[in-house]
Amino acid sequence: MAKQLGMVIDANACIDCKGCMVACKVANQVPGDNWRNWIKDGAMDRSAKSKKRMVFQPGNCMQCDKPTCVTACPTGATYKSKADGVVMINRDLCIGCGQCIKACPYGARYRNEKLKVADKCDFCSNRREVGLEPACVSTCPTKARAFGDLNDPSSPAGKLYAAQKEEAVQVVNAQSDTDPNIYYLGAPGDKHWPVKAQMPSAFTFWKNVADPGVKVLMGLMGVGVLAMLGKQLVMKNDAPEEHHGEDGHE
Amino acid sequence: MSSRQVPRHTRAGIFIHWFNAACWFFLLVTGVALISNPELNPLGAWYPKAVRAIFFGGENLLVAHWLVAFIWLAVWLVYLFWGMNRLVAPFINSIFTIEPNRDIQWMIKKNLQMTVGYKMMARLVKPLGYDGTMPDQGYYNVGQKLAAQGLIIGGLALVGTGFIMFTSKYFLTAADVWLVQWSITVHFIAAGVTTALLILHIYMAAISSEERPAFISMFTGTVPAEYAKHHHRLWYDELEDSKPSEVG
Repeated sequence: MAKQLGMVIDANACIDCKGCMVACKVANQVPGDNWRNWIKDGAMDRSAKSKKRMVFQPGNCMQCDKPTCVTACPTGATYKSKADGVVMINRDLCIGCGQCIKACPYGARYRNEKLKVADKCDFCSNRREVGLEPACVSTCPTKARAFGDLNDPSSPAGKLYAAQKEEAVQVVNAQSDTDPNIYYLGAPGDKHWPVKAQMPSAFTFWKNVADPGVKVLMGLMGVGVLAMLGKQLVMKNDAPEEHHGEDGHE
Repeated sequence: MSSRQVPRHTRAGIFIHWFNAACWFFLLVTGVALISNPELNPLGAWYPKAVRAIFFGGENLLVAHWLVAFIWLAVWLVYLFWGMNRLVAPFINSIFTIEPNRDIQWMIKKNLQMTVGYKMMARLVKPLGYDGTMPDQGYYNVGQKLAAQGLIIGGLALVGTGFIMFTSKYFLTAADVWLVQWSITVHFIAAGVTTALLILHIYMAAISSEERPAFISMFTGTVPAEYAKHHHRLWYDELEDSKPSEVG
């Protein structure tokens, strides 16, 4: 099976300390108000009658198998890596149109205030290059986040995923299931993600109106030119009706 | 006297025409290759792949597109300021001047003549109360005028939206990106419309035998007087009227 980096997050272990958010911000030099990861506001878990407690749902880019952000990118600057399944951004090819930001249901993307291009979690590609785990995983004091190849049972995430496939859940919006690669164990709270993936209106207009419109126009122009070419080849001597006859020559 | 030539294009006009042609061709080839999305690819996934390989990567292709666009724009700005009174204003004035009665008739007849020939055209326009003769036209015929109008408006749209897209990475904030998103879509539409018009323009000039003298004049600057008289009678008459004062 192809390598697919992902996370298995034990929601029960999360204590909402926001350590992962701070570590990420430092490790990736995420500017100003931009954040690559989050801990969703806690909700009261009332499932166990005897013991009510808060539940937390940490998250970041889900490196989806059906990434709507990739679908929305006109230049191919954002793509799903074939090598490890991480959704990457080529900053030099990105033109900063922000359609991917709008298309992501999780709000995992932001416009980098400094670089002015789309940016997001890439599981700390800079740290992975030197053999380290993502900053949020390393820093988590309760080890709520397990990271690795989900298809490799010897990786920390793969091991958990293989062992608890039945209990592990994805948090998705039923109307736009992007098949994320972050799985939750324990009680992550609401399994229904409230935001539905939506393509930007400029993209939808391009796809549904502009693209077919331009094709029809090209087709009509092509037919017209071919008709004229055909006529030119068939009627070699197409002389106008005489009307300037009396003018004669100059 | 049948080979007498009359001047039609200035050297500056010929230069800007071919400079324009080269830039538009380059910008079209690279621009289409900047689209790489299975839902939007105009020619299929192979095209951006192939062109990006030639440029050693999509990021270089993007820079090349910007670079040529800015060179094109810079040369145009010089041309516009330098030739405003002598070349640009008369051109704009000419192509935006339309005389509906004469020109609608010409459009109907020309379209028919180019596809079914003079004889058939004469027969087809009879119910409209027209005879089989083409109404006289000026320096540009109305077909050329409409194409030029489309190209100018499309060109301005391309420049405007292109500039917005370029600025996105340097000046705009997250609140402005909707402008960039619509700029991409409008840029695509404008490129599509202008390319369609250019297909027609290239056919008329380079392939259609009738307009061969006009094609040659884009190199030599002159057309045969007979051609001018037949195709651009109103302009020809103007030329003839002003003949005595032509000396000096």
